Amino acid sequence: MQNQTEKFLNVNNLVVEYHSAGAAVHAVNDVSFSLEAGSSLGLVGETGAGKTTIAKTIMRILPDHAVSKVEGEVKFAGQDIMRLSDKEMASIRGKDMSMIFQDPMTALNPVKTVVSQVAESIVLHQKLSKQESISKAIKMLEMVGIAADRVNEYPHQFSGGMKQRAVIAIAIACSPQLLIADEPTTALDVTIQAQVLELIASLRKEIGMAMILITHDLGIVAEACDNVAVVYAGQIVEMGSKEDIFLRTAHPYTKGLFAALPDLKGKTRKLVPIEGLPPDPTNLPKGCAFSPRCPYADEGCRERAIDMTEIAGGHLCRCRKIERK
Amino acid sequence: MSALVEVKNLKTYFSSGRGTVHAVDDVSFSIEKGKTVGLVGESGCGKSTLGRTIIHLTNSTGGQILYEGEDITHPNRKELRALREKMQIIFQDPFSSLNPRLTIQETIQEPLKLSKRYDKQTIEKETNRLMELVGIEERLRNSYPHELDGGRRQRVGIARALALNPQFVVCDEPVSALDVSIQAQILNLLIELQEEIGLTYLFITHDLSVVRHISDTICVMYLGQMVETAPTEEFFEKQYHPYSKALLSAIPTTDLQKDKKRIILKGEITSAINPQPGCRFASRCIYADERCKQPVKLEELGEGHFVACHRAKEVNGMA
Repeated sequence: MQNQTEKFLNVNNLVVEYHSAGAAVHAVNDVSFSLEAGSSLGLVGETGAGKTTIAKTIMRILPDHAVSKVEGEVKFAGQDIMRLSDKEMASIRGKDMSMIFQDPMTALNPVKTVVSQVAESIVLHQKLSKQESISKAIKMLEMVGIAADRVNEYPHQFSGGMKQRAVIAIAIACSPQLLIADEPTTALDVTIQAQVLELIASLRKEIGMAMILITHDLGIVAEACDNVAVVYAGQIVEMGSKEDIFLRTAHPYTKGLFAALPDLKGKTRKLVPIEGLPPDPTNLPKGCAFSPRCPYADEGCRERAIDMTEIAGGHLCRCRKIERK
Repeated sequence: MSALVEVKNLKTYFSSGRGTVHAVDDVSFSIEKGKTVGLVGESGCGKSTLGRTIIHLTNSTGGQILYEGEDITHPNRKELRALREKMQIIFQDPFSSLNPRLTIQETIQEPLKLSKRYDKQTIEKETNRLMELVGIEERLRNSYPHELDGGRRQRVGIARALALNPQFVVCDEPVSALDVSIQAQILNLLIELQEEIGLTYLFITHDLSVVRHISDTICVMYLGQMVETAPTEEFFEKQYHPYSKALLSAIPTTDLQKDKKRIILKGEITSAINPQPGCRFASRCIYADERCKQPVKLEELGEGHFVACHRAKEVNGMA
């Protein structure tokens, strides 16, 4: 393990709870991970696993009215994100770290031209004149493949792929050190998805930006990330390098995901679904959250919470049935 | 071999403020009894419109639809009612395709009641059979859709579609809204149902890896037209159309070893409003030349393997 100070993002023991209809929704339960400058981490998991909540906590954009509890520590480039004032946070957000959302159709303001929306964050963070920021915005849009003669159009005149590219232009306008991409291609067709992923990869190389990529698609993770964290019921259940997760899969949930995934090569086989459903976040099982669906679970798994253990160098797994190597 | 469903030169046009949308334009294909045709393409290519036109949820503009050899292109009201019992659809979004004010039991019973063929007792018996068939627990009988997760809702949608024992079911992206682990449950259910009751499917999806698991034949659509069709195994082994090649190479795979030679398409799917006569993929195709401005027809390049591309032979080293 590397020294803590060398990592530029550290998330430690993060806990987030929402309140909904009188019940506490345990969205994130003790999540810890770290990221080195310039590297990329894929957060994989199913709907409701807590991936987006983790991202929003780092960005400090959780909806205040719905959140009842946020605990833990987020350290970004030496700063304690949780303790910054709103004003200090606003100067970091959009400049040092930015986020791309899943749905490009709703991320843009429908009554402002695309170029003015890109210029907005440049004006805010870079202290350029309006004219200068517009010409920088045009440059950013060209970088993501939007021609200068279309930048004065409104979002509805853009196709889905173009909108997502415009959103990327906004996110990277100030060359952030960290990009959080939340399902950036889920709303797009595969050929457009390939364009967008390629674009993100080349931009990352160019400005040396680290990335947290949130997705439910294991294929995208395999292509775009160095490291992977598998999230289930608000916890990271397995984490390691891409090779650890894909070639040396350890956790029964991760194994289940791979078995359930239809593939493109080899003989078609019958898919093996994971029986049952993810647990209700207002009523999580006492022990391992996956134990009700796990074929290997026994009494011990159901009795008490399971800790994350390092099973090989850098490969962590939250399962008491896995032997430490 | 007998085709259960066959379409010949089918056209579905819509008029819009900016011209005529050629959503389905001169499409011909057939589906054998008990088999599955996987219809693949990107959003806006007309695949859903094609499925909906076949089962008369959308009116066709031209061409022919045959069911068991009979022309059903222009049914009258009575014929249409009979057809609805034989041909059904499962929709993509199990969240919006169920009536939120009907319980699960009421949803499944609705078609049975509407058919006016069953007495109360039979309806009760049929409901039990259908719920068991698709794997919905008895305790959920009086629940409302919002109380169910996506996978169970989709099971209800399937039970409703199967209520009147149809032979032909259009599955319009039935697993796209579901998580991987649940997606596999529903795919397996659809396959089991086919084996059990001999259903015939038109399986519409944008996801090639899903379609590979369930289809006997693959049809690829681009801007309202069929550009390639082949038996599934054959298709995944070799694609002849430049668009099919790009589509397949664009899919991110979990295979870390794979040497990634990705074909990145320039531009995006253009609009189907008043299209030009030539190949509709030409504007994005790396192989396009003068010839591609001419209309193009499907041509058989291998057994059962049809491609609509002027340059297919050259591009694939077959000339």
